[in-house]
Amino acid sequence: MIEYRNIHKSFDLPVLTGVDMRVESGEMFALFGPSGTGKSVLLKTTIGLTIPDMGDVEVDGTSVFRGGKRALEAVRQKVGYVFQHSALFDSLNVFDNVVMGVPEDELARMPRMETAAKVWEALELVNLEPREILSKIPSELSGGMKKRVGIARAIVGRPEVLLWDEPTTGLDPINTAAVERLIQQLSKQLQVTSLLVTHDVEGGLLICDRVAMLDSGTLRFCGTPDEFRACPDPVVQAFVDRAAAEAALDMVSDVL
Amino acid sequence: MNHQSSGALPPQNAIAQWFAGVGRVTHATLEHAGGLGILFAQIVVATVRLKVSFRSVLNQMYIMGIQSLPIVLVTGSLAGIVTSQQGGYQMTSAVPSYVLGSLVVETIVLEMGPVLTALVLVGRIGARITAELGTMVVSEQIDAFKSLGRDPVAILAAPRVLAGVMVLPLLVGIANLIGIMAGVQAANLTSGLGQESFFFGAQLFWHSFDLGYSATKAIVFGLAIPLISVHMGLKTKGGAEGVGLTTTQAVMFMTLTILILDAMFPPLLLN
Repeated sequence: MIEYRNIHKSFDLPVLTGVDMRVESGEMFALFGPSGTGKSVLLKTTIGLTIPDMGDVEVDGTSVFRGGKRALEAVRQKVGYVFQHSALFDSLNVFDNVVMGVPEDELARMPRMETAAKVWEALELVNLEPREILSKIPSELSGGMKKRVGIARAIVGRPEVLLWDEPTTGLDPINTAAVERLIQQLSKQLQVTSLLVTHDVEGGLLICDRVAMLDSGTLRFCGTPDEFRACPDPVVQAFVDRAAAEAALDMVSDVL
Repeated sequence: MNHQSSGALPPQNAIAQWFAGVGRVTHATLEHAGGLGILFAQIVVATVRLKVSFRSVLNQMYIMGIQSLPIVLVTGSLAGIVTSQQGGYQMTSAVPSYVLGSLVVETIVLEMGPVLTALVLVGRIGARITAELGTMVVSEQIDAFKSLGRDPVAILAAPRVLAGVMVLPLLVGIANLIGIMAGVQAANLTSGLGQESFFFGAQLFWHSFDLGYSATKAIVFGLAIPLISVHMGLKTKGGAEGVGLTTTQAVMFMTLTILILDAMFPPLLLN
């Protein structure tokens, strides 16, 4: 379970102004909102990559900001983070990138063959052919492959929580649908709590148990996908309409 | 009087702005100094706890040392040739010509070798480190290290700083040697000073402490260059423009630091 309590964060201007949100264990949760509303900032507070000006985050009862260094390390160990642009290490090949996802102390004890087997399994879980890509460096991979390697790195350490920061950004509709199916499949298969930050509203509504919407630094909506679609709030409705129009435009531009 | 329409600021506003500017510069300087101190302490802790990969240090030593060797050899030999030629030009009949040997050796060992090598490394290594780490920051690779429970200081910063401290004294030693050899040849060709006379003059004013002085400078510069470049790289903000801006600032900051440190050495160690 992830609990955000009264999160405030400013970068010159206020971005988050008192966000309270709770993601239950085992659920798939999507966070929507216009660009610049602080979705990724909120996601990064979960593992202390961004430090809020006020407030705290708890992951399975462990405080991220009040528990000290050891608590933060423990939280990071149980959370897998999929970055928006994959954030693969340029100088390392796919094998070494994915190996980084195995906790350091576990890696030190593990025989080399076992490590290789773990990497192999993680790549297969994200529908990549390990034999073909293990020795490639990130610049030799397509955008969709990079995303999958990033996902493999996040799941290889068997996390209990997966955080997805706009994992379909920059992908064509076919790859977007494939990655969304993968997110759903992995979340169920690995029995993890998933928090998905996305611009793809339709995709998020389709695969998530609950959704929330951030607007102007605060939580505007939190509920089930059906409740979101039926929400009478004009701000939510305007966002849904705009997202649908943008999705249609994207589809047309892809066809053209 | 309407100051805005005339384009001039009221005196009290101008003074306030001047103080605000001084405050900003002071704040930025203290922030950098504090950041450098914290980074240095983190590197020491990571090194003492054996968290730094020996292979990474060797790799950085190769990049900083072997790959910098050609430019260091060229710079060192040119420094020796120019010092020898200009020194020879200054010599009059009142000064024995063998004094040129002392002039060249002391100038190369005490000043030109360490400073020129450090300035070459600012451009070749410092800029590279800042741009590399800055790119890693803006592409979220540093965040990725943290999210995976890895310490970017132990993985990225410490190997670069340790390699710098070890490699620069070696490079300075090579630059000194090649500079003196080039100086001997140039003295022979332009001033007609033979090798024996050159080294006779050099020995007359030589102090064994000079080598230690040169090595101390090299160690300090070898620490300053990677430490500043890593610190600035990790502080990068924005996208590609941010990387470019930070790299430029880092090169300026490192160059100034080298020159200021160089100016501090004589009063501290030569008196």
